[in-house]
Amino acid sequence: MSAVSSSSAPAGAPAPAPSSNLKRTLLIMAGVWIGGMIVLFVIFGSGGRNSTYQPQNEFKLDNWVHLGVFSINKAVLYLLLAAIATCASMIYIAKRMQSRPNKVQTAVEMLYQLMRDNITGGNLDEKMAKRWFPFIATLFLFIMFSNLVGYIPLPTNTEHKIDVLGLHIPSFSLYAATANLSIPLVLALLVFISYTFEGIRAKGPIGYLKGLVPGGVTGGMAVFIFGLELLSNFMRLMSLSIRLFANILAGHLIILFMAGALAVILGVSALAWFTIPFGILLFAFEVGLVAALQAFIFATLTAIYLGGAVAEDH
Amino acid sequence: MHIAFITLLAAVTEETAKAGKSIGLGVGGGLGAVGAGVGIGIIFGKAIEAITRQPEMRDEITQLQWLGFALTEACFFYGLVAGLLAAFIV
Repeated sequence: MSAVSSSSAPAGAPAPAPSSNLKRTLLIMAGVWIGGMIVLFVIFGSGGRNSTYQPQNEFKLDNWVHLGVFSINKAVLYLLLAAIATCASMIYIAKRMQSRPNKVQTAVEMLYQLMRDNITGGNLDEKMAKRWFPFIATLFLFIMFSNLVGYIPLPTNTEHKIDVLGLHIPSFSLYAATANLSIPLVLALLVFISYTFEGIRAKGPIGYLKGLVPGGVTGGMAVFIFGLELLSNFMRLMSLSIRLFANILAGHLIILFMAGALAVILGVSALAWFTIPFGILLFAFEVGLVAALQAFIFATLTAIYLGGAVAEDH
Repeated sequence: MHIAFITLLAAVTEETAKAGKSIGLGVGGGLGAVGAGVGIGIIFGKAIEAITRQPEMRDEITQLQWLGFALTEACFFYGLVAGLLAAFIV
């Protein structure tokens, strides 16, 4: 508690500058923000630590439809939503192409150009780029849509129900298919299999394994480097999947904490007033940058791995 | 002396486990953030340097900069995931 009140003291201190209008508005906003928090704290006080609320339950997967291994839970729903959103939006736009594009078509054309010229064209030669463009573009769009769908609050939290006119409906929550390790892992496996397959097709099984060792290295050193490269090939699986999963999960976690979970756990309602602006800022950051950036990284790395697998010299 | 210390440890074993988990989360999240913060700072600093030297290569540099940013940022999340594993699952 003392940490919160002490942090508020220096920010409220500076004297108002009447010269600048913007500065005054900002100062008033900061004053309202910090003053409101102090007032709320004085009124409501601290309710003590709340040990019944478990933040990890927000990410728990309950089976809704029991079908053994194929049970339908929250992640499956989000996976389907992302797939439908990807296919529907792209087919819709492709069918309504016009010579004088509107704003949406311009945006999609920019995405297409990014995928064709930068992601595939920049990392693969012409023949490979043509062959693998559909795969890489689909990965990019699917991951981006999956991340973005995850930031729309949907009534999927069956752990906590809310009561609306006598109906128990699940409360709204954020979740994304990519915030679950399985889905990025499957995508990474797909990438692993395709670039290994492509490398073996280009150079033959023996040639592909030989190609792992850089030219000019011989003897015991070559054996050591071969082991290292083989290991790094499997590490790619981990790094590809964990990068995507952890970015999205951490984004959801920090939004959850800033949007109120911190206040609930610590039992200080006034803290929610303090953290909610950070929550909104982080939400904008995640939607605006991280969602598209992670898709871009995944697709770019796929292209780089594919290019590396068929390259003549290592 | 030693035996007394061990019995003392055994007596508070549950609390110690809790403390260890907290330390795991703190080290995973905190040190991960330190490393990634330094790395991201270097990437953006170097990108600004490169763009001021060769403004005509701005687009290419920006693309590489975001690639490097995301790869570095991921290292923070490896630490964080390990910390969360230590705190909630192990």
